Amino acid sequence: MANRIFSKITLSKNGYPTISLTLRSLSAGPPPGTPPPQTKIKFGPLADEDRIFTNLYGKHDWRLKGAIKRGDWYKTKEILLKGADWIINEVKTSGLRGRGGAGFPSGMKWSFMNKPSDGRPKYLVVNADEGEPGTCKDREIMRHDPHKLVEGCLIAGKAMGAKAAYIYIRGEFYNEASNMQVAIAEAYQAGLLGKNACNSGFDFDVFMHRGAGAYICGEETALIESIEGKQGKPRLKPPFPADVGVFGCPTTVTNVETVAVAPTILRRGGAWFASFGRTRNSGTKLFNISGHVNRPCTVEEEMSIPLKELIEIHAGGIVGGWDNLLAIIPGGSSTPLIPKKVCEDVLMDFDGLVAAQTSLGTAAVIVMNKQTDIVKAIARLLMFYKHESCGQCTPCREGVHWMNKIIYRFVDGNAKIEEIDMLWEISKQVEGHSICALADGAAWPIQGLIRHFRPELECRMRKFAEVQQRASC
Amino acid sequence: MSYFGLDRIFKLMKTIKDYGGLRASLYKLYRIDNLRPGRLVATDKFGNKYYENNAYFYGRNRWVEYAPKYGLDYDASQVPAEWYGWLHYKTDYLPSEDPGRPKYKWMAEYTENLTGTKLQYMPYTTTNPKIQAWVPPSKK
Amino acid sequence: MLRTALGKALKGAQLSPKHARVMSQQPKKPEQIEVFIDDIPVKVDPGTTVLQAAAMVGVEIPRFCYHERLAVAGNCRMCLVEVEKSPKPVAACAMPVMKGWRVKTDSEMTKKAREGIMEFLLINHPLDCPICDQGGECDLQDQSMAFGSDKSRFTDIEHSGKRAVEDKDIGPLIKTIMTRCIHCTRCIRFASEVAGVDDLGTTGRGNDMQVGTYVEKMFLSEMSGNIIDLCPVGALTSKPYSFTARPWEIRKIDSIDVLDAVGSNIVVSSRTGEVMRIMPRVNEEINEEWIADKSRFSYDGLKRQRLVTPMLRDNTGELRPVDWEAALLTVAKQIKNAGANVGAIAGGLADAEVLVAVKDLLNRLGSEALCTEHTFPMDGSGTDLRSSYLLNNGIAHAEEADFVLLVGTNPRFEAPLLNSRLRKGYVHNELEVALIGPKVDLRYQYKHLGDGTDVLQQLIGGGHEVSKKLKSAKKPLIIVGSEVLERPDGAAILAVIQKLSASTKAQEGWKVLNVLHKVASQVAALDIGYNPGVDKIRENNPKVLLLLGADEGAIEKADLCDNTFVVYLGHHGDHGATIADAILPGAAYTEKQATYVNTEGRAQQTLVAVTPPGRAREDWKVIRALSEIVGAKLPYDNLNEIRDRLDEVAPHLTKYGEAENANFFKQAQDLAKNVKTQLDCTPLDVKLKDLSDYFMTDSISRASPTMAKCVQAVLKQKQSKF
Repeated sequence: MANRIFSKITLSKNGYPTISLTLRSLSAGPPPGTPPPQTKIKFGPLADEDRIFTNLYGKHDWRLKGAIKRGDWYKTKEILLKGADWIINEVKTSGLRGRGGAGFPSGMKWSFMNKPSDGRPKYLVVNADEGEPGTCKDREIMRHDPHKLVEGCLIAGKAMGAKAAYIYIRGEFYNEASNMQVAIAEAYQAGLLGKNACNSGFDFDVFMHRGAGAYICGEETALIESIEGKQGKPRLKPPFPADVGVFGCPTTVTNVETVAVAPTILRRGGAWFASFGRTRNSGTKLFNISGHVNRPCTVEEEMSIPLKELIEIHAGGIVGGWDNLLAIIPGGSSTPLIPKKVCEDVLMDFDGLVAAQTSLGTAAVIVMNKQTDIVKAIARLLMFYKHESCGQCTPCREGVHWMNKIIYRFVDGNAKIEEIDMLWEISKQVEGHSICALADGAAWPIQGLIRHFRPELECRMRKFAEVQQRASC
Repeated sequence: MSYFGLDRIFKLMKTIKDYGGLRASLYKLYRIDNLRPGRLVATDKFGNKYYENNAYFYGRNRWVEYAPKYGLDYDASQVPAEWYGWLHYKTDYLPSEDPGRPKYKWMAEYTENLTGTKLQYMPYTTTNPKIQAWVPPSKK
Repeated sequence: MLRTALGKALKGAQLSPKHARVMSQQPKKPEQIEVFIDDIPVKVDPGTTVLQAAAMVGVEIPRFCYHERLAVAGNCRMCLVEVEKSPKPVAACAMPVMKGWRVKTDSEMTKKAREGIMEFLLINHPLDCPICDQGGECDLQDQSMAFGSDKSRFTDIEHSGKRAVEDKDIGPLIKTIMTRCIHCTRCIRFASEVAGVDDLGTTGRGNDMQVGTYVEKMFLSEMSGNIIDLCPVGALTSKPYSFTARPWEIRKIDSIDVLDAVGSNIVVSSRTGEVMRIMPRVNEEINEEWIADKSRFSYDGLKRQRLVTPMLRDNTGELRPVDWEAALLTVAKQIKNAGANVGAIAGGLADAEVLVAVKDLLNRLGSEALCTEHTFPMDGSGTDLRSSYLLNNGIAHAEEADFVLLVGTNPRFEAPLLNSRLRKGYVHNELEVALIGPKVDLRYQYKHLGDGTDVLQQLIGGGHEVSKKLKSAKKPLIIVGSEVLERPDGAAILAVIQKLSASTKAQEGWKVLNVLHKVASQVAALDIGYNPGVDKIRENNPKVLLLLGADEGAIEKADLCDNTFVVYLGHHGDHGATIADAILPGAAYTEKQATYVNTEGRAQQTLVAVTPPGRAREDWKVIRALSEIVGAKLPYDNLNEIRDRLDEVAPHLTKYGEAENANFFKQAQDLAKNVKTQLDCTPLDVKLKDLSDYFMTDSISRASPTMAKCVQAVLKQKQSKF
């Protein structure tokens, strides 16, 4: 109840920002676009009326008619007419950070694009290549709420002055792709897209491009290469996509969720969105809870909700009770795991998880209880990264392969204890030395494992050595 | 007689006679720088004659006279392998009498050392010539 | 003589035109930024990469995938260096420097990063250095010594083995051992950027990534051999050179390639008096660091079909080997009998020294019948004005052009390195190319204007669709193949092109008219004063005809009288030797110190890498010896003296490395008005249309088994589906 009051108060302040903007600029306060300070100290659970994705479970009609009923495409024209600067400012005020894993402030990212054109068209690319093991938030959006994304593309496109949006969707998402295509077609037919979209005088097209099933194509530059019809191999940065992106034109690549929440933020105000979660971690977020929980689910929740609360409320608790918890991977397979001790009181937001030496990533919570062979689980993740490494640059191609070889020996314990330190060093040698972040994603699970489960590894090795010795006697 | 050394003269004369007269003996002296009395033990299939005279001390009491066909171009390798043993005191059996001497059909005929002759072994080069010269096309 | 000496002394004081150009550009440069490499401050242009900035202060950063002349890939990660205040090491090859950056190329972090990469690369690299042809000149070997760790942590207790990759068959020139590949993708980038043949690429991903040709296909390009030099490891090695020599046992001699008119700079590697291989040498003005396949691989032709001893035709009509004395006396007797009725034809491989020696000899005998095998129109200015027969604008500047009109030439096979410049301009400079002549594959797009001479007329009239472009271009080039100028209406074609060139609005100092020759000797021969074409010989019917390596069959036995005594001076038993009555064996270009002038008029010299085989001697020395017996002794006894004579004839012939400018376009155009010849309507044609035509074009490459294999391979590839 307290939450509801808080949010109402902030809502009622909705008229303020424009006024306070002028005041602030005069009084040398915080610059425009600064989110209002957070006053709450307890976060979650989220009230139903604050949910952005109101058809997350597909219980209602996902098509245009249903979407309009749920409030999509409401006053889109007015939003567009307010102009790019207003949109960017509002997104900045909301404190929205990229939902794809890196958590870069979206308002700032969009403002990079909002500069006078040098003659080249600008493009928005939506990254719907959701391939991270454990993550299944974008598919729910695209399957059950595709119009949120289509509308988001239009608005984000307007903010950047983009000519068109490309939605790069994962090849395996067949149903999602067809729903998206239907939604785009409906939007065109209703005059919401295309020439003079929503009668706003803004021309905007949305294209969908299906991938062919490579995890690495979720990396922004690899995705751009893939759209261009080349092998999905990451490009060097700089130049960043904002300078040279799709077909050599300025491009912004954003996650589906980031784009899909934008229309609602603009309708309800940036300050409303900023009222959720801690400062610099504001907003609501889709959490995917999988693994050893009683009810695996995808749920929209407030940022900064305690991990334990998230699992207990929405996933029906751990299989075998909380005490049966072994470890949790909090942000999709590439983030380091955290053991039960840390899980007790960690807050699910960017800063909270960084403090716990892990990362929010895509907020895909993978729960492992004590029946899990933790080494084997991490080894399987590494197998995935080995398989998905594009092979372009050396540390990833050779290093991940090598780490994979070693960790599979660790599963049986067929290794020396010194090799744990060696593996740690190799993972450090891989991390941060490659073109893209895939190698980092492969190194972190190992670092998490060694950081928190070194005794387990040593124990296995000792046991294996004993068995060997007995066999040789 | 021995006092005057006449026996030596007789011995010399006998040797000369044995060798077929003065002319033949002088030729032999010219050819092998030696003229000594000895018992002809055998002649091998190449025509080499083997002598023995035990009046000489051991080491000098067996010798070979190369077949006349060799002329002055004789050398030690013209002694076949079977006679080599007798000549060098490895055995006292003559090759024809030696029971332990192997004899098989496949054993090759003995050849002397052909080095310096046209029949000598010449290893051929296994590397390609560095330059292949142009051979003018023939009119025929 | 004083003039010669003075000229040489003053040469150092002169500024070359290149210098002048650099200086005039200097004020336009944007403001430089200061960065620190290992605390050494250096001012660089914005956009300079860390690696380039480090090179400026002499700090070399190790690299595998980076190459100056290829696009940056940044995938080997060997060049990672620490930059102060950056949490991660940055890839020096790709990262532009920012103001005030402090780069540490010797810090703990940098060292560790290098050791890590080296360790990773060696995990799957086979340890077969003792049987690897790259051993001794391998970047991986050198850098693992210099930057690698001193110990290996890689254990393979499950004996799963290193990665093994199937070798690819990509033709008769390049041997692949793909297990050694470290995936630097230099070869792929070369193929798609420089050669313009997109056959190479990667398949598979992660540790299963392979470099290959996608489908079973031969990598057939006229520049393919360069990927051998580019490969930092032994994955791509030379097939003809495989297992023949080690880099530390060969002698390297700088020389010049003479198999086309470009004059690429090469290094001849020899061992035990045998040419083992030929590699390119950097010359920014000519070949950058590439050479064409014919230049690189036809060296085995130098060992076959050689003339190693003088020969004379006996009574039965057979050529019999004789010694020098007999040969020279016989030839001298014939020359004495002939008096002034002596002629000479210079072939495509003749050097300037022998050309001048033969000219002096024949002039002393009272003959002027000195010809080159290849014709050039003599109407109008003819060969009197040097600018009418040179590639005036230079090879290097071709990449700056904004419009190129090719007339009757296929630069891809006549001068592959010029074509690579044009392709560079096409890729990076938005160069537009139009071609008159047969439709050939140049590996870049061009506008085909047809193959008729009427197109030229239309261009002159201004009625053609590209006339406007040609007229408005700031840096237009018209490149004429020497082959079409050999036609009966060659003079008319040249006159039209001279007119066309004059009608353009090229910027100051830019020369529009360019003639592309096909053989190395032509420019020097014309400079010295030879008559282009063999018509004079046909008219005069000389009693003694001297062939200087003339093997193209410009003149047949049937063209001559029955009693004409043909003397062949050259190094290969080819067309010329078969019709000769006396053969005097000469030296090939790897066996003599000789001067050649390339198509842009640049004199360069070859150096002696190996001795001439058998009794063969340097060509000009043969002529010198002959002259003494004939009784017209030539006044030079050593190389310096004959070079002084060259200097007298034409001073630029001994200014090695410099392209002598010629600028007589206006005069040439005035003279061209007198040309009476009319354009005839036969379509323009070139001999080298296809890759299979490219490999065997002269006596050396015709004798080369490797080149024969290449032709076979091209023909086989044509049968293939891919």
